Parts: sequence; structure tokens; C-alpha cells
Amino acid sequence: MGPSVASVLLVEDDPGARQGLELALQRLGYGVRAAATGEAALDHFRGDTADVVVLDVMLPGLDGFEICRQLRRDSDVPVIMLTARGEDLDIVAGLEAGADDYVVKPVEPRVLDARIRAVLRRIARPGSPAEDYGDLVIDRSALIVRCGGRPVSLTPTELRLLLVLSSSPRQVFSREQLLELVWEHDYLGDSRLVDACVQRLRAKIERETSVPRYIQTVRGFGYRFGPV
Amino acid sequence: MRTRLIIAFIVVALLSALASSWFHTLIGAYHLPAWLDGLIMGPRWLQSLVHSAPGQPPPHPVRHTALLFFGVEAGLLLVMIITVAIAASRRVLLPVRRLAQAATRMSDGDLAVRIVPRGRDELAQLEGTFNDMAASLEGKVSELQQMEARARQFAGDVSHELRTPLTAMTAVTDILYEHPGLSGNAATAARLVHHEVIHLNRLVEDLIEISRFDTGTAKLVTDDTDVATAIGRCLRTRGWSQVSTEVPAGLAAVLDRRRFDVILANLVGNALRHGAPPVTVTGVTQPDGHGGQRLAVTVRDHGAGLPGTEIPHLFDRFYKADTARARSEGSGLGLAIAQENARLHGGHIDAANHPSGGAIFTITLPLNERTSAPTASIGGCATPSVGERSWSVGRLSPDVASRAPYATGE
Repeated sequence: MGPSVASVLLVEDDPGARQGLELALQRLGYGVRAAATGEAALDHFRGDTADVVVLDVMLPGLDGFEICRQLRRDSDVPVIMLTARGEDLDIVAGLEAGADDYVVKPVEPRVLDARIRAVLRRIARPGSPAEDYGDLVIDRSALIVRCGGRPVSLTPTELRLLLVLSSSPRQVFSREQLLELVWEHDYLGDSRLVDACVQRLRAKIERETSVPRYIQTVRGFGYRFGPV
Repeated sequence: MRTRLIIAFIVVALLSALASSWFHTLIGAYHLPAWLDGLIMGPRWLQSLVHSAPGQPPPHPVRHTALLFFGVEAGLLLVMIITVAIAASRRVLLPVRRLAQAATRMSDGDLAVRIVPRGRDELAQLEGTFNDMAASLEGKVSELQQMEARARQFAGDVSHELRTPLTAMTAVTDILYEHPGLSGNAATAARLVHHEVIHLNRLVEDLIEISRFDTGTAKLVTDDTDVATAIGRCLRTRGWSQVSTEVPAGLAAVLDRRRFDVILANLVGNALRHGAPPVTVTGVTQPDGHGGQRLAVTVRDHGAGLPGTEIPHLFDRFYKADTARARSEGSGLGLAIAQENARLHGGHIDAANHPSGGAIFTITLPLNERTSAPTASIGGCATPSVGERSWSVGRLSPDVASRAPYATGE
């Protein structure tokens, strides 16, 4: 475990869980700043951005979903939701609010570590020069995506998903494949992560999300890029 | 019932008509007050019509008229009697019929059935009593159901509540466990705490999963699945390369892959822990006895087999077959969860001993077409439809799935 440059903003209201996770993450080499409330977390984040946010869902005052939405307004920072329930509503709401991944309490430190690393890895990926798909221009080396000439702001997960799909246009990727390639989950991972991320990506790069041109659904199989 | 009532009415009416005519003859011998005389013998004009002079027989035409009167009167009387009889029988029979219908519905399980009482007679009272009885029964049953639901909910809530403190404990137990400064008793204690926290985590996860089945929130998320691939992946992910498989290529089923994985991992895990090698997994299709096909996946080991007395209890919650081995890494819920998962698919798991030795567990699942995919037996939810998969409540997160319950039956 090399020295980690990654800084984690941990938002958790339960003092025991907060301290415990802080200790565990520090021991894994992360720089950790912890906040007990959503307001404190947003203050922290404005002062000094973090590389990744680990966000508890159940918080007094602003809840995890609201914080996630507010963070998303001016940041593409990866967000990992920490849910105490692991129940459907929480997970779906978290993904809709823009979370990149989620873990269920009680989470083992090495599982959280693996998720954080997977999220951070999505940022770095060298590639070929810009590819032009009409409206959409993907610059793999600069990691810039332009849509209609304007740069599109994508989260690392959305970017990675777009890069994976567009690496082989027309090829159909199953949700399981995408989970393994983008999220680095095992084969029984939660495909809702894929569906939620596809929705967000479409909202950013498609002219009409109901008639997607780039990220197409292949019913019963998965998704593919194009044919443009 | 109705015919008998009408006949009884007619008989009673005829008898009373007969009695009144006798009475009429009797009463003629007395001098009555004018108003009573008028009432019984008829108005004066009628009397004067019949008796032209007191004591004289009536003239012929009048006698004809009287006969005519009598015939018309008798006919009218009959019609009236029948009408009244029908009306009266309706009044009596309808409430009885309504009561009978209500009682039938209630015995069919509809405790919400009530009758709107009409009138204030005994039948109305009976209807009222029936309603009271139904209400009290319904109240009792719903109270019992609520108590049961609360108990189930409580088990789930407790498990959820345990997660927050467990988060802190799970997070720091590694630090203690791997702390270089600890030695001797302190190191032993740290190791013990570490193991127990892991055990507690598994127990809580399994309790939460069981409470999903109990509260009906466990739902199927099905996919067309290649059985051989699913079995192969389950074994490979867990490093169980020593397990041999015999599954025909191309054998496909509509399964909830995660739940199928949980079932298989539990059975194979048990076979590896408690049985003896070689452990084999086979998959076949067989007729289900109703004209369809079903999938049968067996997990067999070559150990001493299962004691006959334990087989009926193997799938009970917290059942520990061998008390000497009561403490192990399992939660005691693994086989119960596996069975619930099979039932959710509309199937079941059976345990038995193979004639030539070793235990054999058989997972039997209906092999439905996608269009008639299995309906969840719990919670009454239908399976997601064709094409886009739909996700439903009760799905565990992947990290929970990878820690899925493998053990029980110890």
C-alpha cells in the first residue's frame, strides 16, 4: 500500500462510525476529513475539495441525497454513498442524486478501499487523439468530451462509461460487463449502477434522451455506442 | 321453503274464512250495537240489498248478485292471500338468504363481510349479532396479524439498528488485529474480537435477509441464465476448483442470478465443510408432472451422509445438527435462506442421502418461459417482464452478495 495522495471527505453523523471509518481510512493511507452534518460537509468541500466523498445517507438536517445534489451542481467529484439499510429506495435515490457507487454498512475497510480506488482509477486513462462522432467529440488523451462544440462536464464514472462504450462502437456490452469494466464490481454487482449512470450520461450528451443517438439500449442485452 | 310458506298461508286464510262464516251464523242470534253490527254484517245498504225484508229470503236476481259477489270476493281474496304470502315469505326469506350468503363468504375468509340490518324484528337482531360477531372476529384476526407483522418488523429493525455500531467495530477491528504492538493475551483478545465481529456481521446480514422474506419485501430479479455458466462462475469466484460439474451445455433457465448463486454457494460450501470429497454439482431438466419441465440441480458429497432424524429440520432457522459443533462461522440461517430463495423462484430444496453414500441436496426450480416467468411466492410480486430488466426491492448490494451466507446446518 503506497502513500496515498487521495483525500477523502467522510460525512457520517454517528460518532462511532465516523471515528472508526476515519481511523480505518487513515490507516489505509488516505487523507481524511470528517464531517458530522451535511452543512459542515458542504463548508469543508467549498474550502478545500476532496478527491472522493464518502457520504452517509441518513444525516440530520440535509440528508445524503440533498448533499449529493448540491455537490453535483458545481463539482464532478466521485461520490460513494454509505447506506445503513441497503434497501432499494435508498440506493435508487442515491444513484439518481448522482452518486457513483454505494456500499452498505457495516462496510469492511478493504471493500471501501477497493471502491475508492476503482472510482479514482476512472480518472486516469491514456488514449488516442480526439474521435469525432458528429456532435460528439471524445478526446481520449485530454479526457475532454465536447458536445455541439461545448465541453461537457462529466464525472469520472460517466467519462469512464463513455470511454468504454465508445472504445468499440456498435459492440453490445452487457450490464455485467460494464459493471466489471467501469465499476470493477464482481459479476453479481448491481446493474442499477449502470442504468442510473447511462441516464445521467444521456442527459449530458444526447440531444433527446428519449431517442438516444450515442448511448443506445439493446433490449434484453445491454448498451452500445452508436451506430452513429 | 317459499312454497311451503305460501301453502300454509292459503290454508290459514281458508280456515279463518270458514271460521268467520261460522262465527257470522252464531253472531246473527245476538243484538249487537249498530257499529259492531255494521262491521260484522256489512253496511246497511248491503244488508237491505240481500234481505228485502227481515226474515224473508232474498229475491232471485239478488241471490244471483250475492253469488257473483261471493265468487269475485273469493277470487280477490285468493289473489290477495297469495300476494301477501309471497310478500311475507320474501320478508322472511330474503334476510335468511342474505345471512347464509354472508356466512358463506365469511367461511371463505372474507372477514370484512357485513349485512345491512333492515327492520327491527328478530331477523334484524340476528343480522346485528352476525355483524357483531364478524367485527369481533375481524378485529381479533387483524390484531394477531399486526402483532405478527410487528414481530417480523422488529427483527428486521433490530438487525438494521445493529449496523451502525457494527460499522464502527468493523472499521477498527482490522487495526487491532494487525497491531504490531499487541502480544500475548492482548493479541489473542484482539484476534477473538476480530473473528466475532466478522461473525456478528454475517449474522446481522443473514437476519436482515431473512426478515426480507418474512415481511414480503424479497423480490425476484430474473434474467435468462445459462445454468452451466452460472454454476461455473459461482464455483470459480469462490475458488472451489475441486468441485466437479456435470451440466449440459445450453441448459437455460429464467433465474435470479444472485439468489441462485446464494443457494448454490451455500449448498456447495456445506458439502465441502461437512461432507467428504469428491463434491459434484449436476444440472438436468426433468418433467414436472404437470406437462412442463423443471430444472433440477444437485449437490452431492461422498461423506457419511445426513442422520435421518435431522433431515426434516435441516432447513429450520438456527438449527444446529451437531451440537458439539454448534459454533462455526455460519449464522445458522444459510440453509433457511437458501430454501426461501428457492421458494421465491417457485421451487424448493430437498435433502436426502444418496443410496451409495453421501448427502445429496436437490434444488428444483420451475423452468418457465420468460413470458410466464415464475411469480414470487412471497410478497405476491410478479417477475420483471421481457426485455429491460426491472429491479425490485430487497436486492442486496454487491458487497453483501459477495459475503453471502454460505453456512448452516451445523
